[in-house]
Amino acid sequence: MHVLVIEDDREHAEFIEKVLSEAGHSVETVDDGAGGLSRARQDQFDALVVDRMLPEKPGLQLVEEFRNGGGTTPALFLSALSDVDNRVEGLKVGADDYLAKPFAPEELVARVEALGRRQSSGEPPVTVLRVGDLEMDLLGRKVTRGETKIDLQPREFKLLEYLMRHAGQTVTRTMLLEKVWNYHFDPQTNVIDVHISRLRAKIDKEFDHQLLQTVRGAGYCLQA
Amino acid sequence: MKSGPFAFVRTTTFRLALVYSILFALFSAGLLAYLFQATVGTMRSEAKARLEAEFRTLAVAWQAGGPTRLEQSLLERVLVDLRDFTYQFEDPNGRIIVGDMPRMPAPPGDEVGVPRIVTFEIERPGPGGGATITPIEARIVRLGDGSTLLVGIKMDERIRQVNRITRAVATAAPIGFLLALLGGFFSARYAASRAESLTKTAEGVMSGDLSLRAPVGASGDEFDRLAEQLNAMLEKLETLMAATRHAGDSIAHDLRSPLSRLRNQLEARLRGPIDELSARETLGETVEEVDRVLATFNAILRLSRVNAGAEGKLVDLDLTELCEEMAELFEPACEDEGISFTADIDRRLELAGDRTLLAQAVSNLLDNAVKYTPSGQAIRFSAKRHDGVVDISVEDTGPGIPETDLQRVKERFVRLDDARTLPGSGLGLALVDAVAELHAGTFELARGNNEIGLRATLILPAKA
Repeated sequence: MHVLVIEDDREHAEFIEKVLSEAGHSVETVDDGAGGLSRARQDQFDALVVDRMLPEKPGLQLVEEFRNGGGTTPALFLSALSDVDNRVEGLKVGADDYLAKPFAPEELVARVEALGRRQSSGEPPVTVLRVGDLEMDLLGRKVTRGETKIDLQPREFKLLEYLMRHAGQTVTRTMLLEKVWNYHFDPQTNVIDVHISRLRAKIDKEFDHQLLQTVRGAGYCLQA
Repeated sequence: MKSGPFAFVRTTTFRLALVYSILFALFSAGLLAYLFQATVGTMRSEAKARLEAEFRTLAVAWQAGGPTRLEQSLLERVLVDLRDFTYQFEDPNGRIIVGDMPRMPAPPGDEVGVPRIVTFEIERPGPGGGATITPIEARIVRLGDGSTLLVGIKMDERIRQVNRITRAVATAAPIGFLLALLGGFFSARYAASRAESLTKTAEGVMSGDLSLRAPVGASGDEFDRLAEQLNAMLEKLETLMAATRHAGDSIAHDLRSPLSRLRNQLEARLRGPIDELSARETLGETVEEVDRVLATFNAILRLSRVNAGAEGKLVDLDLTELCEEMAELFEPACEDEGISFTADIDRRLELAGDRTLLAQAVSNLLDNAVKYTPSGQAIRFSAKRHDGVVDISVEDTGPGIPETDLQRVKERFVRLDDARTLPGSGLGLALVDAVAELHAGTFELARGNNEIGLRATLILPAKA
């Protein structure tokens, strides 16, 4: 992916660049709001990573103007301001995701990759998701692996749907709580892990090839 | 505001009092003038009416019996009643037939039978030696045979009354004005002193003494209510300041130990031999430690924001769904730990709340229960509505908390000795407490049923 990072803190920008480059993405950084906006308009990037506090033009204004000007590139806000109001504010001006500083590098990579996927899975409405021999029929609410029918609870279905939509990408526990349960807080115990292991028992246990992998220190990845 | 005995002169209250005094004085003056006019007018018209009646009676006597009859009537009247009327009857030659005036005070009108109205004064030696002057209002008429008749009414009694009224008015008006002004003066000074005490409190607080409070009187008037509100505001301000200071202290205290630990670890490694493997291990541990510090820092920040009311927006929501989702979220974890989990959630638990913070609070309670309840024991999660409140309760049959520590564990960073080895910041229950306060509710910790385990209850006001 081709990612534009707009961040004024040099060290932080270098850190983000390093993290994203190591994950195989090409990164360009701009250190002020006005410059960031014009770069975002000049080139077709796959994702924007925007700090909220920027010289020249604050992040909120940047994204708002970019959207008003017809820009569709998905954007992720980085901010030390993390409470829900700020998050809502960010999403309201047209950002697609919001990540509070400090963050784990895996979390950033996972979210940026999720953004890229969001845009490409645009036009035709998908009714069937496939990862290897695992198949999810979104209309019939049915899941099969190979010839075997798999019975899932509604929440397990949502969880698997999210993982399948982001197949091949790492998704973090916080992302799962946000996207599958729609809660923005950190559960202290391993509640999410337990749900994953239940799902894993249903989709992987009877099979030789394990689809749902644990990514150490980061989260999970569903991969054929 | 500058003080001094007359500082209140600049106050709004005093100005209002002055304006009211002046209005009052003007009104009084108008009222007195009207009364004066009315009284005097009535007296005059009454005197005129009596004079008119007397004149007619005499006219009848004249018509009935000519000068002889008239003279007789006049003599009778002079003898019987000398109090009010005075008469003078002269023959055509100007000779006085009846009357004690030396002559007519004015000539009659030229036309016969048409009276002329005159006023004049007569002077008589008074009882004390001086002269008394009596004002007279009279009718003088030329009679058919050329003689002249005067009928007058003495006005002295009436004028004395009018004078008395005038004097009363002249005395009463300034006294009334003075009283109004004095009343205004004192009420203004009273109001100004009440306002001044509030100002003094505010000044004191601004100069740094947050413990100052405005004096509240017993009357419950608007100044008392203002003072009460000011005091409540100061109370809240003081609590917030204390909370901020406490948060600062806590941050300093709680971040210092892990940071020192980190520093010592790093230094110890620096002193020893460094190879690739041990360096990697040390860096890994360092990152973990720093993550913990950051997590604690975020938790403190969030707790402070909730405490200060800077985070959390109350909107109408149904707690049933939230509780069911939390139950669903935690149920598998309990099962994995071999803990029996039951949830009992009422329908339609409507209240004004912040979804994220309530979810965090409930999750903290369930989290604690899962963490401290041994395998084979039970957790009971319930959300019930009764008597205008919603009770969210998490009860376990674990080891519980000693009675003496029940209150203490709600404070920041309080972790009981047994828990030190388990992960956690010591901020979980403090956050639950803060969330309860934000929702105008309470958070209670108690021994569980049959004195076993712990029951944590979040009591929130339900939507009316």
